[in-house]
Amino acid sequence: MKMRRIGAALLAGAMMMTALAGCGGSSGGEAGSGGSSSGGKTVTLWATGSDNVRTVYEALVEDFNNNSDYAGEYEVELQFMLSGTGTQTLTDMLAAAAKAGQTDTNYDIVDLGGDDLSKIVSQIGEESFVKLDDSKMPNAEGVDAESSVAADYAQPYRGTTVVLAYDSEKVANPPATWDELVAWMQANPGRFAYNTPGTGGAGDSFARTAVYNFMDEEAITSDDAAWEEDWDEGFQYLADIHQYMYSSGGSIVYPNKNQGTLDLLNQGEIDMCPNWADMVLSQRAAGTLKDTIKISQLDPALTGSFQSLVIPTFGSNEDGAYAFMDYMLSASAQEIMVKEMAAIPLIDTSTIDMTGFEDVENLDVNNFRIMSIGDLSTDFNERWDNEIGTIG
Amino acid sequence: MSKSLKQKTVAYGMVMPAFLVVMLTVAYPIVAAVIQSFQDEETGEFTVENYTYFFMEPAQLRNLLYTLFVVFVTVVVALVVAYLLALYLRFVKSKIAKAIGTLYLLPRFVPAMCAVYAMITIIRDSGLVNRIGLLFGVDIHLGMMYHASGIITMNLWFNIPFAAMMIAAGLGAIPDSIIEGARDVGAGKFKVFTSMILPLSMKDVVVAGTFVFMTNVGSFTTPYLMGGNAPKMLGIALFDQFNKYLAYNRSAALSVIMFLICSVSAGVYIYTNLKEQDWEKQ
Repeated sequence: MKMRRIGAALLAGAMMMTALAGCGGSSGGEAGSGGSSSGGKTVTLWATGSDNVRTVYEALVEDFNNNSDYAGEYEVELQFMLSGTGTQTLTDMLAAAAKAGQTDTNYDIVDLGGDDLSKIVSQIGEESFVKLDDSKMPNAEGVDAESSVAADYAQPYRGTTVVLAYDSEKVANPPATWDELVAWMQANPGRFAYNTPGTGGAGDSFARTAVYNFMDEEAITSDDAAWEEDWDEGFQYLADIHQYMYSSGGSIVYPNKNQGTLDLLNQGEIDMCPNWADMVLSQRAAGTLKDTIKISQLDPALTGSFQSLVIPTFGSNEDGAYAFMDYMLSASAQEIMVKEMAAIPLIDTSTIDMTGFEDVENLDVNNFRIMSIGDLSTDFNERWDNEIGTIG
Repeated sequence: MSKSLKQKTVAYGMVMPAFLVVMLTVAYPIVAAVIQSFQDEETGEFTVENYTYFFMEPAQLRNLLYTLFVVFVTVVVALVVAYLLALYLRFVKSKIAKAIGTLYLLPRFVPAMCAVYAMITIIRDSGLVNRIGLLFGVDIHLGMMYHASGIITMNLWFNIPFAAMMIAAGLGAIPDSIIEGARDVGAGKFKVFTSMILPLSMKDVVVAGTFVFMTNVGSFTTPYLMGGNAPKMLGIALFDQFNKYLAYNRSAALSVIMFLICSVSAGVYIYTNLKEQDWEKQ
């Protein structure tokens, strides 16, 4: 009985929170009413992600409201949705608002990753977002990076990519091409590992890049099932390099999760693995990874992605949204993102204090390889598990 | 309203919430899963393909046999070690025995995740054992990570205290007078054990065994963090089907298979309990 009472109390609390959030939403909308571009003071920013993203955004919003050029003029309010906790994802909410024909909502500016962006664009079309006018955000001039979808409508503001992480004490010259990588593996059997695809983005990126290296350039951004027929050569390649992977207990092992390979690297059981640049660098900065672990990129590159901002046409404070977009491309905002999450800045790094994150500078965002194969990834993982994971 | 009717209403009223919760969260999903497991993913028509997949596909069959192997070894080793531990705790009266008696349950209070990571830092090829070896100039590679031996070791860590607790309770219920009586008529220590202690505690051993068996068939954390890629334990195979391949009908079939494996052990448990009651009747 007690449990049920607690449950009821929690439920009531949750309902009240939703009701309050609802009120906040409508009042925010009213504040910006009277034409979508006339704007009020309040700008509502929507973002989603893990908890570390929330921390960074809170720091950015506070900096914007208090220290930026726009302080006093606009006040940004953050609506953060922790990934994996809501019943509705941010893209679902946007799609619902757009399809219901709502206007003057408080979706003033929205932060979206590459996958979410292509998903929402395919659902409601890029014309649901404001076509960006660079003259309204002076800082955009210094940014060359372009989103792979809806390039005129989405403004990338930070990047991240999978790289080769290696122990510089053991590897003096990291391989620069895939051929060099294979040669290195052959010379150092058992010293390389990538995590099981489907358990972490680094392993996904490595296996998929390896396979798509043998295919047409356009395949990497297509979810057409016809491309699956061209996977054979790539899978043969993965089977060929299988024998040089890390082994334990007498058989080849692909650890689970990105952190699985990173732990092996840190413990000295392997010398090299693919991993996320931001994951490696922020853990190194925090002291949980050895200082000797460095990163480098292959050519053709392992895949990466941009995080972008969009302004929905059904929002209510376009000018305020532009102001925040402009701020996100300023040196101070980019520096916060570098320091807090080892993000790859998209502006000229000479204007940013990069102490401790010098490795990031060498990652050229213009060479970013973006992958979006949609639902094919499910088939890919299953085939990998059946053909590569079972070789033993 | 009569008094008995009132009482009945109150009684059923109190049971009803629990009954509904069980129906909604246990019975309904089981029925739904069984139905789904016989449906084709695309057409929804009746098929047994979801089941044959797990017995015909070599990799899946290996997963099944591997799981049974790991669980079987775990059960046997856990029971033997736990039985010896329980015997020691029951019949040795010393300070050390008393200390062990209070300490042996400690592993049950360590969160599973912490315990698994602690074990990993010790047994991995660059772990504590390896580092101590290096001090003496030996490069020890246990090779237990991503291998059945690591999973079994971890399972023992969790299950020995549990099994020992159940068996110790059973041994504690054997009165000293029985043993003394047997001694008086000239039975040796071995004879006392084989004809008195072992038969009297057998039921608890079987019950402990069934519990250890059931909890390990569907284990996830340990094999996920310590197991290799192939073969996999069924808990991981189920996770793959459900989360990675989004094959919900096959997931349902595998759940039913795991349920059936567990029900064999549940059958043994029920049979053992019923037998006891028969014996008491006579």
